[in-house]
Amino acid sequence: MAVLPLDVYEAYLRILKDPDISQPLAAIGVSTELIQASNAGTTAELVNETFEALSELKRRTPGSVSVQAGCDLFIAFMTLFPHEADTLSALKAELVTQGQKYVAEALSYRDKIAQFTLGFIKDDSVILTHSYSRVVMKALLNAHKTKRISVYVTEARPNGLGLKTYAQLIEAGIPCTVVLDSAVAYVMDKVDFVLVGSEAVVESGGLINAVGSNQMAILAQAARKPFYALAESYKFHRHFPLSQYDLPTHTPSILSFPVLSAGSSDTHDQNSGTSPEVAPGPDDGNSRARQSSQAVPEWRMTAEQISCNPEVDYTRPDLISLVFSDVGILTPEGVSQYLVGMFAG
Amino acid sequence: MAPPPALPVHPPSGPHHDSKPPKKSQKEMTKAERKELQERQRAAKAEAKASSQPSSSTPAQKKSNKPAEIVPRPPPTPGRAPREATRGAAAVAHETAAGANERGLRIFSHFGLPKAVSAPKGDIHPVTLRLALQFSEFKIVGANARCIATLIAFKTVIQDYVTPQNTTLSRHLMTHLSPQISHLVAARPMSVTMGNAIRQLKLEISGSDIDLPEQDAKDLLCAKIDQYLSERVLAADGIIEENGQKKIKDGDVILTYARSSVVEKVLLAAHESGRRFSVIVVDSRPLLEGKRLLSVLSHAGIKCKYILLPSIGSIITEVSTVIVGAHSIHTNGAVYSRAGTALVAMMAKQHSIPFIVCCETYKFSEGVQLDSFTKNELAPPGDRIATFPLTKPRESLTLANSPHLEVLNPLYDLTPPTSITAVVTEVGIVPPNSISSIPVALGRLL
Repeated sequence: MAVLPLDVYEAYLRILKDPDISQPLAAIGVSTELIQASNAGTTAELVNETFEALSELKRRTPGSVSVQAGCDLFIAFMTLFPHEADTLSALKAELVTQGQKYVAEALSYRDKIAQFTLGFIKDDSVILTHSYSRVVMKALLNAHKTKRISVYVTEARPNGLGLKTYAQLIEAGIPCTVVLDSAVAYVMDKVDFVLVGSEAVVESGGLINAVGSNQMAILAQAARKPFYALAESYKFHRHFPLSQYDLPTHTPSILSFPVLSAGSSDTHDQNSGTSPEVAPGPDDGNSRARQSSQAVPEWRMTAEQISCNPEVDYTRPDLISLVFSDVGILTPEGVSQYLVGMFAG
Repeated sequence: MAPPPALPVHPPSGPHHDSKPPKKSQKEMTKAERKELQERQRAAKAEAKASSQPSSSTPAQKKSNKPAEIVPRPPPTPGRAPREATRGAAAVAHETAAGANERGLRIFSHFGLPKAVSAPKGDIHPVTLRLALQFSEFKIVGANARCIATLIAFKTVIQDYVTPQNTTLSRHLMTHLSPQISHLVAARPMSVTMGNAIRQLKLEISGSDIDLPEQDAKDLLCAKIDQYLSERVLAADGIIEENGQKKIKDGDVILTYARSSVVEKVLLAAHESGRRFSVIVVDSRPLLEGKRLLSVLSHAGIKCKYILLPSIGSIITEVSTVIVGAHSIHTNGAVYSRAGTALVAMMAKQHSIPFIVCCETYKFSEGVQLDSFTKNELAPPGDRIATFPLTKPRESLTLANSPHLEVLNPLYDLTPPTSITAVVTEVGIVPPNSISSIPVALGRLL
């Protein structure tokens, strides 16, 4: 394989430092830099090189569905759309300017989405949101200018990004309360609707977002509350997950059971009769319980335990009321129709 | 004094009215009666279009001069109604008694019934004759197989065709092909795939260049047919195979119903790429097509289970994905497929198991169908195709001889889009309700 003219991953991280740039846009930014730096002699070489570089980028960022969405979008743009350039250098220039123009334009998409969302937020609304999302923040801050809103935000373990949302909303003067991830059902009856951002919107019309969104959508449907997702159109991704375990982010280690050694499984068996969680002291046989209970009186997940958990989950399209995007307010079916039109043509 | 003269006048008018109202002359009729007569004539004409003549389409006033000739069986006037009605009913009853087989099926009489191949009408090519026999005896089954067989047969028909004098291929070939098509349809109702392919073929024929030498034009048409087969069917299957097998993971239990050529390819491809999974083939009478799939899969070394449809409830919880094929797919995303598929889909939905349909885009049908009664096809009566092991002679098990029993075997049913998770096509995996946007996106009609 030819040496790439640019360390894509390093470039990706550098572009991503800008707080406004999201992952798909960074991927597109990398592509334009790559084409600029490329010394490919033919169009086919250029396409191959970009293809390889983006595959490399996808490989280096496992678990990022939105990077994949951005890469696919750029490849589709390169290969499917007609270009007017006559020479290779003109083509390169065109791709670069179009790419840069797209990134610049895409930064305004969040304002557009915030404007669309405004029509659905009534005065005195109580909104439930999940974790931290730039586009949701923009929508909430924009709504705050004209309407009185209050927000419940989940803590969103393990990253605790909900606290970031909380801090920014309080700073802007929006009443906000952090709720536990496990208290979503408790708070659901109090809210008017649920507003979440997205990692990617997939071809089924479903949503990939920070873990916890799926249960929130299920609870919202059970409580008959609208569940709105906000997504910029560059996050639309041509992938059709059939279940949680069909996501590209799913690895065998997620949800795996630990391999117990013979001794510890013995003690486990003994313990299962008593109540192991409460009794910190007397059971000498259980070395794991003793260790943790002696070190800290409270129970916390270890990093190892957290690593068995997913970062994102998939929300089925029938649980989503509407998807707000810069191409319009779409029903979940509308998303898949848009995607078919975009990539199949 | 008034009553006596009135009496003799009235009684005749009663019987007279009863017995011969059609002989009433034009002038005696009231305006309403005349209008009614005209209505009836019009209805009768619509029924028997064949007998319609240019003269009968003249304005109503002229027609009403000779009502008796035009209306062959004038429907009863109010007075005569009861008698006529009973006579009609008797006639119908007699007819049904004669055709005992048809009796219980009258509400399904619009379903296509497989018939013994009729005597060919017109100039039928031997290839078509053979194909019609194969269709009617269910030797060639399946939407893909029938479409491929038809197109290959038509290639021969086109090659053997000679344009008559004073006409051109582009104008005359279709009149030569039409009887072939009707002969095939007489053997078994046309599949959606055949319909789509034939429509495309007609388009190519009418578009072929008049100035082209005949042999070149025929070769060009055959090349177009080959292209259609390779692009819309074979290449499409290849991509579906590729897309579909990605949805099969190690340790999966795949359930499939009856037999679909595409599903077979997907499962074999997934097996070849080294994935370890097992397959449950669900099957049902009367065709028991699943047995063929079963033998292919088990020969390839895939672990299989074979069950009949009634026992699906006990194994559905083990299943991770259901994959089935389709006869055709409607614009609203409803899938028209082998009878029983809808039941499997409902079971899968009930247990939230993904239900995937593999379907090429040339199977799209632009209509919308809401149930499986408006259009369907019946399996041949008796079970001359089923080959389930039998210990008794088949005749002793046949139900057709019982006068109070009718066997009804619709071949297809309709799976609503709500119980379908995804449709795997050659343009990607799409949810069923986005099907209608695919032809638009591809910028072509089906």
